[in-house]
Amino acid sequence: MDAPQTILIVDDEKAILRFLRASLEEAGFSVLEASSGRSALELAAAKKPDVVLLDLGLPDLDGLEVIERLREWTSAPVIVVSVRNDESDKIEALDRGADDYLTKPFGVEELLARIRVALRHAERAREDPEPLYRHGDLRIDLTARRVWLGKKEVRLSPLQYALLSILVRNAGRVVGQKQLLKELWPEGGSNPEALRILVHQTRHRIEREPVRPRHLKTEPAVGYRLEDSEDPS
Amino acid sequence: MTGMLGRLREYGLAVGANALCTAFCSAVSPFVALTDLVMVYLVGTLAVALRGRRGPAVFSSFLSVLCFNFFFVPPRFTFDVEHPQYVVTFLVMLAVALTISHLALRIRTQAEAAKSSELAAETERLRSSLLSAVSHELKTPLTAIIGSAGSLLQAPDAGGGHRRELLDNIREEAQRLARLVHNLIETTRFESGGVRLRKEPYPIEDVVGTALERLDKPLTGREVRTDLPEDLPLIPVDPVLMELVFVNLIENALRHAPESSAIEIAARQVGGRLEATVADRGPGLRTQPIERVFEKFYRAGPAPGGAGLGLAICKAVVEAHGGSIQAENRVDGGALFRLSLPLRGEP
Repeated sequence: MDAPQTILIVDDEKAILRFLRASLEEAGFSVLEASSGRSALELAAAKKPDVVLLDLGLPDLDGLEVIERLREWTSAPVIVVSVRNDESDKIEALDRGADDYLTKPFGVEELLARIRVALRHAERAREDPEPLYRHGDLRIDLTARRVWLGKKEVRLSPLQYALLSILVRNAGRVVGQKQLLKELWPEGGSNPEALRILVHQTRHRIEREPVRPRHLKTEPAVGYRLEDSEDPS
Repeated sequence: MTGMLGRLREYGLAVGANALCTAFCSAVSPFVALTDLVMVYLVGTLAVALRGRRGPAVFSSFLSVLCFNFFFVPPRFTFDVEHPQYVVTFLVMLAVALTISHLALRIRTQAEAAKSSELAAETERLRSSLLSAVSHELKTPLTAIIGSAGSLLQAPDAGGGHRRELLDNIREEAQRLARLVHNLIETTRFESGGVRLRKEPYPIEDVVGTALERLDKPLTGREVRTDLPEDLPLIPVDPVLMELVFVNLIENALRHAPESSAIEIAARQVGGRLEATVADRGPGLRTQPIERVFEKFYRAGPAPGGAGLGLAICKAVVEAHGGSIQAENRVDGGALFRLSLPLRGEP
C-alpha cells in the first residue's frame, strides 16, 4: 500500500473541519486544513494534495478565484462545497475548472463517493478510460458501442449514445449542461431545451422507472450525473 | 353586474318594507291614533337601514312619509293634506327616519371596523404563532439529535441495533431540520421580494424526479404511483423552486397518509396548461374553508412535523409562475392537491 492520499480541506467553520477530518481520517486519508483562501493556496503549493475540498464562502478570497489560481498550476481534483440556491455559483465553479460539487448538508457516504470518483478520474486521465460501465441492471460497453438493460439490448439513437458515452467517461461525476452542449453539438445550433429532451428520451430507454432514475440523475439547474460504475476495475 | 343587482334588491327591500308597514297600518288603523302609525313606518325604515346602504335607507325614509300621507292622512288616497299640522308631522317623521337611518348605518360601520381590527389582531396572533410553531418544529429535531448524540457518548459500546437506531435518528432529524430551514429561508426570500425566477423549459418528469430523489430516505418502503405521459410538453419553471413545491406536497402526503397507502402523482395537458396532481389516502382535509391549508403557519391537526410553511410556499411559488394551486378532498378518501401551470410563460 502506498502512502495515504492527501486531502486539503478549505473551510472556515470549525464544526465542519472537525467532522470532515474525523470522517476522512477514518476512511484512511491524510488530511490538511486551511481556513482561508490564501493559506489554502500556500498549503496546496507546498504539500501538493491529491484532492482539494473547497468551501466557496471564504473570509478572504472568493472561492471561485481560488479555483482559478489552483488551475494555473495543478490539475488535482477540486470538489466544491456549497449551499443550495447557489446554482449559479456551482455552474461558475465547474466552468472555472472544479471537478465536482457537494451540496450542504451532505452525508459522509456522498463525500467519500465524490472523493473516490475524483481520484479515479485524476488517475485515469493518464490512462485509457474504463470501457465497461455497470450499474445495477444497466451495462454499457464503450468498445462495442452497445448498451444492455438487464438481459435486453437497448437500441439508442446516435445522439442518445453520444450522451451516454460522455456520461460514462465521467461516471460518478457531475457533467455541466454547458459541457454537454459543447460536446454533443460542437458546431453549436442547439440549446438546453434540446438537451433536456434528449436526456428525457434516453432515460425512457435505460431506466425501468424514468421518473425515479437509478442511473442517470439530474443535478437541478446544473447538469447531469451518471451514477458511478459498480465494477470500475 | 351583481353590484347593480344587489343595489336594486336593496331598493326593492325598501319598497317591500313600506308595503308591509302600510298593510299592517291598514289593519290596525281603526284602533290606534293616526300619528301612532308613524312609529310603524319608522320601524320599517330602521329595518332597511340595518340591512342596506345609505341610498335605500334615505329612499325608504321619503317613501314612508309618502305612504303615510297617501294611504292614511285625510283625504285618504291622495297626496293632499287637509290639516296643515300634518306637514309638521311629515317633517318630524322624515327627520326621525333619516336620523334612524344615519345612526343604524353608523352602528354597522363601527361593527365592521371592529371586525377588521379583530382581523388585525388575528394576523398578529398568526404572526406570533410563527415563533411558537417554528420554535416547536426546531426544538423537536434538535432535542432528538442532542439526546441521541448524548446517549451514544454515554454508552459508546451500546449494542449494534441500538447504536444504529440512535445514529439513524440523528441523521433523519437533522435532515428534517434542513428541510424546515430551507422552507423558512425560501418563505422569507419570497416575502422580501428577493426571488427572481429562473424559468426554463423542463420535462415535468424531471422536476418530479428530483423531488422524489430529495425525499429518497423518507420515501423508503412507501409506494409512489406516477402517471406522467412521456410526450407531455416541456413546462417553463424554475427547477429549484418547482422541485421545492413537489417536495413539500409529497412530504405533506407522507406525513398524513398511512404508510401502507400509495402516494399518487399525475400530470396531463389541459389546453394551454399543464395540470399536475399529488394525492394521498390520508384522512383528507377538514379545514374550512379548505384554502386555509395554504395559509402560513396553519397546521392541520396533530400530525407531527411541518411548521405550516410547506403549503404556503407551494402557493407562493406556483402563483409566481402564473399558475394556481387547489386543495381538494377525494371522493373515495384522501387529500388531493391540483396545480395548474401555464405551458407558455412570459419570456
